[in-house]
Amino acid sequence: MECSFAITGKGYVIVAADTTAAHSIIKVKLDEDKIKTLSPHLLMAYSGEPGDTVQFAEYIERNIRLYQIRNTYPLRPSSAASWIRRALADSLRSRKPYSVNLLLGGYDTSTYTPHLYWIDYLGTLTEVPFGAHGYGSYFALSLLDRYHDPEASLEEGLATLKRCIDEVSKRLLVAPGRYKVKVVDKDGVREVEI
Amino acid sequence: MARRYDSRTTIFSPEGRLYQIEYAMEAISHAGTVLGVLAKDGIVLAAEKKVTGKLLDLSSVKEGGYGGSGEKIFLLNSNVVAGVAGITADANSLVNFARQAAQRHLYLYNEDIPVELLAQRLCDMKQGYTQYGGLRPFGVSLLYAGYDPHYNFQLYHSDPSGNYSGWKATCIGANNGTATSLLKQEYKDDITIEEAIKLVLSVMSKTMDSTTLGSEKLEFATLTLDPTTKKPKAKIYRPSEVDELLQEQGLAKKEEDDKSA
Amino acid sequence: MSIMEYNGGSVIAMVGKDCVAIASDLRLGVQSLSISSNFQKIFPVTDRIYVGLPGLASDVTTLHEQFRYRVNMYTIKEEREIEPQTFAQMVSSTLYERRFGPYFIEPVIAGMQRTPSGSYEPFIAATDLIGCLNFAKDFVVAGTASSELFGAAEGLWEPDLEAEDLFETISQTLLNAVDRDTFSGWGAVVHVMTKDKVITRTLKGRMD
Repeated sequence: MECSFAITGKGYVIVAADTTAAHSIIKVKLDEDKIKTLSPHLLMAYSGEPGDTVQFAEYIERNIRLYQIRNTYPLRPSSAASWIRRALADSLRSRKPYSVNLLLGGYDTSTYTPHLYWIDYLGTLTEVPFGAHGYGSYFALSLLDRYHDPEASLEEGLATLKRCIDEVSKRLLVAPGRYKVKVVDKDGVREVEI
Repeated sequence: MARRYDSRTTIFSPEGRLYQIEYAMEAISHAGTVLGVLAKDGIVLAAEKKVTGKLLDLSSVKEGGYGGSGEKIFLLNSNVVAGVAGITADANSLVNFARQAAQRHLYLYNEDIPVELLAQRLCDMKQGYTQYGGLRPFGVSLLYAGYDPHYNFQLYHSDPSGNYSGWKATCIGANNGTATSLLKQEYKDDITIEEAIKLVLSVMSKTMDSTTLGSEKLEFATLTLDPTTKKPKAKIYRPSEVDELLQEQGLAKKEEDDKSA
Repeated sequence: MSIMEYNGGSVIAMVGKDCVAIASDLRLGVQSLSISSNFQKIFPVTDRIYVGLPGLASDVTTLHEQFRYRVNMYTIKEEREIEPQTFAQMVSSTLYERRFGPYFIEPVIAGMQRTPSGSYEPFIAATDLIGCLNFAKDFVVAGTASSELFGAAEGLWEPDLEAEDLFETISQTLLNAVDRDTFSGWGAVVHVMTKDKVITRTLKGRMD
């Protein structure tokens, strides 16, 4: 089943999401990228109802891009998070709401700080030091309560993330096999192997 | 014959000009002077009031509101103050529009509106009146003094055609040529807010019609960063505070002048 | 499962002698899973009004943003700050606008109301999720621990408490009530307001 995790550290946010695309009980794809790069310093991991997820993520991606083209600079992470939350909150009270859960990781280039936002399909938004969606969250959050360090280096952060993934693989009956991991820091967005 | 291309605001003359827009700008160059200077740690705005006299009821400006006497300098949002020159009634409607635009941005993005974006919002509206027929353009120029995290302190100017531009120091209204050349001579990069206040007041005292400055002729505002919260802090001076400031700078009028006012 | 209990959280407000206090927990959860221990449910409206918004977390943010917009527009148009009584009516009408598809929030309002003589008197009010106002003279409660809060407040509150005593009373009431509620807790925030200042304190409580 779908799992996504994200953790902040010293000057960075790591976002990880599984890469399986499923149709009921069947895996149909094993290398799906479920983390979109919204702007040079903004990452969004999305999960939820298949179809809704991609539609919604592309809608967000293009509107964030439009803002950047119109105003020459991109939205800051906190403003992007608020705007995305509003899109989901408005959708919730529409005829057919999007069922999409998000983890939004960004680096604010005007204050030089990393930010991570936990957003669910209801339009709940909260800034967190670490967050997770899916069944994996039941394992990862308690693990991160114990091991997360906001001042950790990138290597330490990736090691903590590895712990979460390993724990989920060990204990969760329907654990995903592979994950894609991306990092955002002052230099922008990049993918890392773990 | 000369009026053929004046009757509507949106008709080009054979030389390719929009006369009504040019008349609007001409009207502004007779309005009270508004001056803005950008410093490294803040911005200063000053404006010359035209509507004065001892019969004018100013009791409402002593307390409440945002400060100032509400003729030339307005708070558009917590991070932007504006000075207006031109038809005051038009200015009021633009100020109201700007405040709504700023609140709409806050509602959508949960952040104070970036200064340039606010200037753009107003200019989109002003430009509309140069293209869609039937209505007259806004006879107002504005100076926007603002702060945002993208470009820190900024000073913009917009005119009735919907053009806008960024400045280190600029002036609109009557005598803007004299004031601009004075600013050109005196302005230095990396000027501090204290130096900017001095500069603004000295230029104002030289360009205004009256020989002495006083709160009945002058509006004054600064925008700085609050040292503790690091948030922008706009201060529109109340009449008593303007007089106090002038006293400090040695530009206040002498006691005996009071009787003639 | 009720939507009102989905995210958890509680708010309480109390009247003292020339002061008011408003307090809430800081938990955000998804049913029994805790997501955040720093989710603010109380927001400043003016220097003399606070509003607490317990209920569905999505609507906490939506309503906070909407109240901020409406209050700012009011301040611009009226050129003065809104009074607690007026703000309470604004809250009520905002909620009743959605009478047949409500926001899942039960707001609590606390403030210092200006009297015609120019002095200030404490003001508290609460509404249900469709905006039915309840002006109380002692205390108001809302959220998943509301029944526990009622019990604790009934026993601890007394009239004419000074600011420091009111702080102690509201803190003890809240901390003890949320300990008996699975959906509230994870720390608390308390604001005590007098006519000229607000003291805000963050409390730790049982972090489990």
